Amino acid sequence: MQEWQIVLPEKKHKKKFFGNLLEEVIKPAICSHCTACAAICPVKGITAGDRPIDFPNWLKDCVDCGACVKVCPRWDYRPLGGVGSYIEMFSARSKRFLGQDGAMVTEFTATALEEGIVERAIFVARDEEWRTRTVSIIDPEQLKNRKITGTKYSFADVLPAVKEAVLDSKAVAFVGTPCMISALRKMQRSFRKFERVKLAIGLFCTENFYHSQLSEFLAKKGVAMKDVLKTDIKKGKFIVKKADGEITFPVKELDGIIPPGCKVCQDFSAVEADVSVGSVGSEAGFSTVLVRSDIAKRIADAIRARGYAEFRDASLEAVKKLCDYKVKIHPYPPKKEG
Amino acid sequence: MKVEFKARRLDLLRMHLDVIREAFKQAVAPDRVTVEYPRERKKYPANFRGIIVFDKDKCISCFRCAHICPANAIQMTFYEKAWPGIDYTKCIFCHFCVDSCPTGALRSTKIHDIAFATMGEMKLNAVQMLKAPELTREDSFTVEYVVDPQGWRLEKKAEIDELALEQFIIPEKRRVSVCVDPESCLGCRLCVELCPNDAISVDRKANKLNILPEKCTGCGICVRNCPMKVLELKEVK
Repeated sequence: MQEWQIVLPEKKHKKKFFGNLLEEVIKPAICSHCTACAAICPVKGITAGDRPIDFPNWLKDCVDCGACVKVCPRWDYRPLGGVGSYIEMFSARSKRFLGQDGAMVTEFTATALEEGIVERAIFVARDEEWRTRTVSIIDPEQLKNRKITGTKYSFADVLPAVKEAVLDSKAVAFVGTPCMISALRKMQRSFRKFERVKLAIGLFCTENFYHSQLSEFLAKKGVAMKDVLKTDIKKGKFIVKKADGEITFPVKELDGIIPPGCKVCQDFSAVEADVSVGSVGSEAGFSTVLVRSDIAKRIADAIRARGYAEFRDASLEAVKKLCDYKVKIHPYPPKKEG
Repeated sequence: MKVEFKARRLDLLRMHLDVIREAFKQAVAPDRVTVEYPRERKKYPANFRGIIVFDKDKCISCFRCAHICPANAIQMTFYEKAWPGIDYTKCIFCHFCVDSCPTGALRSTKIHDIAFATMGEMKLNAVQMLKAPELTREDSFTVEYVVDPQGWRLEKKAEIDELALEQFIIPEKRRVSVCVDPESCLGCRLCVELCPNDAISVDRKANKLNILPEKCTGCGICVRNCPMKVLELKEVK
């Protein structure tokens, strides 16, 4: 095609598009740090990492294309909540992999790769200090690495890695928080190429942290990040497992370092994902799985047929309770203090 | 003791005679295989990789030579368009640039023996590359190695080899940039900014992007730089 149309979103301020994003999302502190804008920016000017989203020198370098506004899940923000629609719900534990609880995120990815449903998957790995980095999984064997599986309670630049993967493979899977899943759906609606993301695995999520703030907080508790073996949130308690024992404290203590973007989020169960996975609603060592799309159903059936996992019933009530709780504690628009 | 000495003298005499005989033989019918450069010059094949000359009328400023150069020896400089210059302190004579040039604007000569006085002189710009460097020809013979069942020898002809190569004829394959996935276009207009021939235009009122096929040279700069890889080079008849 030699002539084509481009669609520009409507501006709310007489500024370049990043200026609009700054006024509507970043300054009001409702940015969820999903990194969709950093992924889509054609001049790679938007920076994410372990700091709030920024575009140094945007006045000069922004090309005013509006892509960041088109993909931002918090632009014209209408919070999603509840359990959402799903095809089936179960509790399961992988027989092949070790992960956070039942390692069902890992199991879904491995089966999707084996079945040829996706060519590669974007996961988040960690280093000794629990700093996050994205990795591209092309072989289920890679998932045996315990630094790749399991939850990291820190932001990671997942969507920029997803974009790179989408440019050179035809079927991609990734794991993300509910805000990333919502951002991906917006990307798919705006730019057709993102339909190559065939499997979006959503995580049950109440909040996420900046690595620097979390490690500073744990340092005050006398925990060095490099000694940590596993982190977990269970029943309102943040649990840090070390080689020489466990430290637990109420999640409420973390209130001061919860990013403001998370405090307006009401989506606990990643309602827009293909499959949502989390620990709530299952016994210890099992993961609750909400299968929402046909493609995820196909993978779940394959797991069942091959006997890769042990299945049990999950408690819908427990998930519902957490979903309602998140809506209650994260009102939008946020309550004015004082 | 005396007998031994006599035998040795006989050996020495025989060796001297051998040497004298070889000297006579080489004077009358030499069979050496070394080239007497610069009096003689080897005949080089047509695909010889030597000093590169540049044809500015064929260049479409696609930067392909600069991108492919493994030694990073090519610097594009803006004249009428962006033209390549070669730094011969870095060039490894792989001729990837010559092979990658889609229009044949870069081509090789059989010249390899240039002396530069300083390092600075070895950095040639596009204008200096328009003509092959001048040589003072001291050779009057062309020699060639011949390999046949009897062995190999040097064949010498009293003629001078032409060092400029004939222009390779590159089959005319006109390609133009085409948007294959308009629904994934970000609308960033980087292609409009980058096009060296202003072949891509944007209508800011109607929000339309347009590639003019008659202006597009098929250089592929937009294709390489599109952040969503929605552009492709397509052959046209």
